[in-house]
Amino acid sequence: MAVSATLAAVALADQSTTRTEFTWVGPLDLTIALRLDAFSSLIALLVSGIGVLVCVYAAGYFSASAQGVGRFAATLLGFSTAMLGLVLADTVWTMFLFWELTSVTSFLLVGHQRTDAAARTAARRALVITAGGGLVLLAGFVVLNDASPGRYISDLEPVTGTGATVAAVLILIAAATKSAQVPFHIWLPGAMKAPTPVSAYLHSATMVKAGVVLVAVASPALAQTSVWTPLGVTFGTASMVWGAIGALRHLDAKLILAWGTVSQLGLMIVLLSFGSGKAVFAALSILFAHAIFKAALFMIVGEIDVRTGTRDIRELSGLWRSMPLAYGVALVSSLSMAGVPPMLGFPAKEAAVEAALGLSGGERTVALIAIIGGSVLTVAYTARFILTVFHGGNGTPTVVGPRRPLMAAPAAFLGACTLIGFAFLGNVTDWVRPAAVTVNKKAEVYSLIRWPGLTDAFMISAGIVAAGAVLGWVISRRAADTAPRTIGADTVDTSIDGSITIARNITARVQHGSLPGYVLTMVAVAALATIPFIGAIDFDVITGADNAAQMVLAVFVAASAVAATQVRTRLGAALVLGAVGFAIAGLFVASGAPDLVLTQLLVETVIVVGFVLGLGRLTTTFPRHGTTWQTTRIGVSLMAAGAVAVGLAGSARGPVPASTVDRLSAEAVSEGGGKNVVNVILTDVRALDTLGEIVVLAVVAVGVLALLRRRPEVVLSPDEPSLLPQAANELTEADR
Amino acid sequence: MIDQTTGPSPIVRLSIRAATPLALVIAVFVFFAGHNRPGGGFAAGLLIGAVLVLRSVAGFPLPFRAIPLLATGTIVAAAVAVAPMLWGDVFLDQIVIEQKLPLLGKVKSGSALIFDVGVTLIVSGLIVAVLDGFRADHLATPPPAVSNDKATTDKATTDTATTESSS
Repeated sequence: MAVSATLAAVALADQSTTRTEFTWVGPLDLTIALRLDAFSSLIALLVSGIGVLVCVYAAGYFSASAQGVGRFAATLLGFSTAMLGLVLADTVWTMFLFWELTSVTSFLLVGHQRTDAAARTAARRALVITAGGGLVLLAGFVVLNDASPGRYISDLEPVTGTGATVAAVLILIAAATKSAQVPFHIWLPGAMKAPTPVSAYLHSATMVKAGVVLVAVASPALAQTSVWTPLGVTFGTASMVWGAIGALRHLDAKLILAWGTVSQLGLMIVLLSFGSGKAVFAALSILFAHAIFKAALFMIVGEIDVRTGTRDIRELSGLWRSMPLAYGVALVSSLSMAGVPPMLGFPAKEAAVEAALGLSGGERTVALIAIIGGSVLTVAYTARFILTVFHGGNGTPTVVGPRRPLMAAPAAFLGACTLIGFAFLGNVTDWVRPAAVTVNKKAEVYSLIRWPGLTDAFMISAGIVAAGAVLGWVISRRAADTAPRTIGADTVDTSIDGSITIARNITARVQHGSLPGYVLTMVAVAALATIPFIGAIDFDVITGADNAAQMVLAVFVAASAVAATQVRTRLGAALVLGAVGFAIAGLFVASGAPDLVLTQLLVETVIVVGFVLGLGRLTTTFPRHGTTWQTTRIGVSLMAAGAVAVGLAGSARGPVPASTVDRLSAEAVSEGGGKNVVNVILTDVRALDTLGEIVVLAVVAVGVLALLRRRPEVVLSPDEPSLLPQAANELTEADR
Repeated sequence: MIDQTTGPSPIVRLSIRAATPLALVIAVFVFFAGHNRPGGGFAAGLLIGAVLVLRSVAGFPLPFRAIPLLATGTIVAAAVAVAPMLWGDVFLDQIVIEQKLPLLGKVKSGSALIFDVGVTLIVSGLIVAVLDGFRADHLATPPPAVSNDKATTDKATTDTATTESSS
C-alpha cells in the first residue's frame, strides 16, 4: 500500500498518463483496463496514502488480545485493492467489478464485530443498499454503453437522448447509494458500528467518495442530458441540509462526524452536478481537503473512544486539557471542515462559493442558497462538535486511559497535512487542477487562492462562519437528552427481515422433510419430462422377442415386479426386487451383452445386501397408508413405469449400423489399445464423462457419510454465535 | 439371516473368511481383463465392495475408512487426467505402452489402466461409506468369543448397546 501511495504521488508529480490492460474473458470482449491519469492518481494517492495511515492507526486501535485482527487486516487490504481498482478503472465493466467488490468488503468490515447483533444488522443494511445501488449501476452502464459505445471511460463522448437520460438517472442513483445521499444515506450512520479505522478509511475518506468519483467520470458523457444537473443538485442539496441537521442532533461523536460526511458529500455532488469548470475544480479541492480532515477527525474520535471508553458527548468532559494533542489536531481539522483560514478547507470552500457566484440565472440562485445554507449548518455542527466533545461536560474531567502513540501519530500527521496543504497551496493546486481538467477542460484557469482579499466570496464565507458559529454555540448549549433514531433505517431492516421470513416460509413449504414426498415429487417431474419423447417412438423398430429365452425371462421379470407390490414385509419386497434384477441380468445374457451382465449382477448383489442393512433399522412390514396417499403413490409409480417404457422405446433405433460398430472397434484398438469397446469408451474415449461421474460418486459417498453418521451436538459458544442465529436455533431444536 | 441371540454362525464367518482372498483375486483379474474382455475398474470396485459387504454382515470390521479411499481415487483419476497437459498433450490423452516381459509375454497397457484404478477406489469407497454409515458391522450381534476377533466384538457390544438405548 505504501508502494502504491508512492507511485500515485510520483504519477501526480509528473502528470503522466499510463494505461495497462489485459484480456479477462476474450470471447466476451471483457478486459480489465486500468488508467493512471491526473484524476485517478489524485484519488489513488488519497486511497493508498490514508490507507497506510489507517493501517498504522489500526495497530494502535486493536489491543494485543483482540480477536480477528488478521481477518480484519486481510479484509482491509482487500478493500484497499478494490478501491484502487475502482479509481483506476478505464472500462465501465472494470469499474463495476471493483465497485461491487468495495460493497462486499465494506459489508465484511462493518460487520467485523460479528458477535454484535447491531453490527450485523448495520452491515446487512449497508450491503443491501450499496449492492442494490450496484445493480442500478450495472443497468446504467448497460444503457450508457448502448448510447455511447466507447470502449474506454476516458473516450466517452457527450450523449443526449432518451437512452442517455435513463443512463444519467440510473448512474446518479447508484452514486447516491454509494455516497450516502438522501434518501439512501441511512446505511452510513449504521456503518459506524464498524471499528473506527474502518470508519476513518471507508466511511469518510475513500469508499463513500466512490459515488463522487462516478459522477466525475460519467459527467463528461452525461452532463448534457436534461436530468443530470437537476437530479444531482437535488440529491446533493437534500443531503447537505439533512446531513447537517443530523449532525446537529446526534449525541455520539462518531455519528456527528458520519452525518457531517453525508452533508459534505452532498456539497461535492452539488458542485459536480453543476459541472462548470470552477465547480468541478472546487468539488475536487473539497474532496481532497475532506479526505484529510475527516480521516483525522475520525481517528481522534476513535482515540477518545479507546482511551475514555465512551463517545457520548454528554459523558465527555474536560478533554481539551487532558488530551492536548488530540484537541489540537481536532481543532485544526474542524476549522478546515468549517472553511476557516489558515486551513486547507478554507480555499476549497472559497472555490465553492466562487463557483456558485460564477453561475448564471436560476442556477446561481439555487447554488448560492444550497452552498450558503449547507455551509452555515456545517460550521454549526463543527462548532458543536468541538464545544461538546472537548469543552462540554459537567465539570468533573473524564478519566483518560494511557496514551496510544500509534493512534495519535497518523491523526497528527493528517492534521499537519491540513496546515501544510495551506502553506504549500500552489502544489495542491498543481495536483487538483489537472485532475479537474480531465473532468472538465475549462477548469485549467483556476487555482486555490490563499488570501483572496475582500471579494464577494470572502464576505459570504465570513458571514457563513459567523452565522454558523453562533448557531452551533446556541445548539451546543441546549442539552439534548435522547439520541434520535435514523428515519428510514427501521423500514429497511423490517423489509429485509420480512423478505427473510417469506423465504423461510417458502422453504418450510417446499423442503417439508418427508422423504417419500421428495421421491414422489422427483419421480413425477422426471416422468412428465418424458412426454415429448412419445412422439419420437419409432414403432417399426420395436419387435417381439429375438429368442424364446427372452420371452421366458421377460415374463419372469414382470411377474416378480407385480409380486414385489404384493409382498407385505419389507425384507420380502427387497428380495423380490433382487429377483427382478437378476432376471434382467439374464435378459442381458440372452441379448449377448456380457459387460452389462457382469455389472448388473454385481450391482444387484450389493443392492440386495444394502437393502438388508437398511431394513435393520425399519419396521419389518410396510406401514398402512390412507387411501389418498396410497392412490397417489400407485399413480406416480405407474407414471414412472410409463416414463421408463417411453424413454426406452423412444431411444430404440433398430440395429446399430455395422459401420459404426466397426469404427468403434477399430478406434478402441488403435486409440485405446484394448479390445473391450465398452471399457475403452469409459476410460479413454469418453474418459471426461467417467471422470465427472466418479467425482459425483465420491461426493455422494461423502454425503452419505455426513448424513448417516450420528451428528455431534451443535454447540454454540456464547462468544461465537452463528452469523444466522435463527437458522442455528432451528437446527439445534430439530436435533432435540 | 442373522440369529439375534448367537450372531452369525461360525460356518458363515469361516466361509466368508476363506472366500475373501479368492474374491479379491477375481477382482484383480476382472480389473485387468477389462481391457480386452468384460470387466474393468467399475466391476472390480463392485467386487471388492461385495466382499466388504459380506464381511461386515458377518461381523468383521471394515479394513479401511471411506474418506482415504475416495480421496486417493479422486486424486489418482484427476492426476491421470491432468498429467498429459504437463507435456503438452490434451487433457485426458492416453499413453499406450507395449512391452515384452519375461514370463508374461507381450504386455500392453496404457494410462487408462491407472485411471481405472481411480474408478475402482471410488466405487469401493462409496460402498465402504454406506457400510460405515449404516454401521453394518454392528448390525451383526457379537459371535461367540473368538480369540483373534475379541477386540472387535467388545467394541461391537458397546456400540450396539448405545445404539439400542438411544433409539
